[in-house]
Amino acid sequence: MSVGTGVAGTDRATGRAPGSLVRAGGFSRRLLGRTDGLVGIVILLVFGLLALAPTLFVGPLENLTTTSGIPLQAPTAAHPFGTDELGRDMLNLTVHGARISMTIGLMATVITILIGSLVGIVAGFVGGAADTLLMRLSDFFLVLPTIVLALILAPIILDVIGSRAQLLGIRSTLLVIVIVIGLTSWATTARVIRSQVLSLKERMFVDRARVIGSGGGWIMRRHILPNVMNLIVAQAVLTFATAVFTETTLAFIGLGDPSAPSWGQTLNSAQAAGAPGLGAWWYIVPPAAAVVLVVMAFTLLGNALDDVLNPKALSRR
Amino acid sequence: MSGRYIARKLVQALVTIVAIVLLNFVLFRMMPGSPERASKNPHLTPEIVAANRVKWGLDKPLIPDQLINYVESTAAGDLGYSIKYRGQPVVEVVVDAAGPTVLLIGLGEAVAIVVGLWLGARSGWRRGGTIDRVGNALSLVFYSMPYFVIGMPLIIVFAAGLGWFPTSGMTTPGGNKTPVEAIVDLGRHLVLPLTAVALGLIGAYSILMRSSIVETRSEDYITTARAKGLPDARILRSHAFPNALLPMVTLIAINLGYVVAGAITAEIVFNWPGLGTLTVQALDARDYPLLQAIFLLIAVSVVIANFGADLVYGYLDPRVRA
Repeated sequence: MSVGTGVAGTDRATGRAPGSLVRAGGFSRRLLGRTDGLVGIVILLVFGLLALAPTLFVGPLENLTTTSGIPLQAPTAAHPFGTDELGRDMLNLTVHGARISMTIGLMATVITILIGSLVGIVAGFVGGAADTLLMRLSDFFLVLPTIVLALILAPIILDVIGSRAQLLGIRSTLLVIVIVIGLTSWATTARVIRSQVLSLKERMFVDRARVIGSGGGWIMRRHILPNVMNLIVAQAVLTFATAVFTETTLAFIGLGDPSAPSWGQTLNSAQAAGAPGLGAWWYIVPPAAAVVLVVMAFTLLGNALDDVLNPKALSRR
Repeated sequence: MSGRYIARKLVQALVTIVAIVLLNFVLFRMMPGSPERASKNPHLTPEIVAANRVKWGLDKPLIPDQLINYVESTAAGDLGYSIKYRGQPVVEVVVDAAGPTVLLIGLGEAVAIVVGLWLGARSGWRRGGTIDRVGNALSLVFYSMPYFVIGMPLIIVFAAGLGWFPTSGMTTPGGNKTPVEAIVDLGRHLVLPLTAVALGLIGAYSILMRSSIVETRSEDYITTARAKGLPDARILRSHAFPNALLPMVTLIAINLGYVVAGAITAEIVFNWPGLGTLTVQALDARDYPLLQAIFLLIAVSVVIANFGADLVYGYLDPRVRA
């Protein structure tokens, strides 16, 4: 595991174990030994596989012209998950939805973790006015509900970058969701990392690095960052759960891209087609169950990681 | 509670509200359809554009004149006019929709606080017991579900399938109803959305309360109470529960913003005529003034709720008053 080796490297570099309890071998054993961690990993492996190669499992994404069934059909042998109001196979939509939802979730997580770690490390290490300023800023974002902020930011960002723009083949409508989630959810990560950095910077190995003339930037990169890597990994996994959750909600409200049916977008179509009132449960259950399973798996895994990687959480038990 | 504590929290809340208003000011200038953009119409002569700029105050510098102007009208409750609702002031539109939302979320919170805190306390007190295992698993499932994901199956089963409750709306239209009939009608419409909101919240509150009670359980005063020979139920009720409740006060207040934002998705599913349904209409019509008013209302309510929680917390826990 890269996590374990990264920390071990730091131990060698500083000549002493800086309180980090992780050893490469014990880590995966301890994580897999926990039921919640194991369940989380298994669910994620399944969905990760579906997301990597949806076409392999269910063929290309069906659209209006390539539909394979009659509209709003209950599950049959040919369509085990039924069809939507356009006659698209629900199994096909749900599997392809894994790719879309999880890609957005992953990109949003990367942005969130980058901003959150940077702010957390700088605020904690530099301290003083920079710390105060950054923490007030994070207070602001903590108080503001992400979804509500996203509602007004999304149309504006869309207008600024244009709705036809693309990045890596992803339409700007989806990019907006990524940017909005990233910009509005870094505050929790920043807080968690900062509190760890505050205690780290009082440690002996930081003093030693200073004494031999290392600059602030060097210490933050080479000494602080490797030691908060544990926390960053656990936070990233938990952030992924939130990101998938938020994407589903935003797409459901109507900020998604109809041509890229994420699970939230499919639920939006189901709502628009009146599926709940018609009793078309097969239109709702597959995407809804997928969201719940993925969010739950990431939450389980994130909590398990937090317990296994975080020395503070360990001593609490 | 010391005056200094209250003053510090009040200043923090006011700074946040000022920041929200400033953000709104900036966003207003970036929005599609802003006056600057409207003036780019090639059919307008430069004279008309210049006259309009004077009329709208755009000839004055952005800071401070336009900003002061904006803050003044915002403080006076003038947030502009709705596009979708034919020029009705957005404040009126938003206030009309706030009532149903407050009813739904207020009742949902009340149910969830009672049930969630009870469930979490019982789970954490007997860790590993039946209530803990079942309750914890259910809480995690509901915690992972957006409100609308909880709501949709409820409609399928209890409205479309069994026909026990109406599928959508807040009242049955038409007919002269006696006050009693009207309340029963409202109640029947309220059951499913309320269940969706409450279930989502119970998950979150029960998980948080569980970990809070687990931490409280290892405190010295619990050991003391046990040593005194108090019955288990009494220790939970009078010693552990009140102390475990402390962090929950803040958590419930901080969560309020997310609750409002999440609950609006439940409104969409049930077509409940509150802020959520209004938000979707505003989004569909690209009604930016309306969206901003909704944002301002929710954001400021959340800040005020947080301030209230700080005061309650300071009152309940003498250690933070310093």
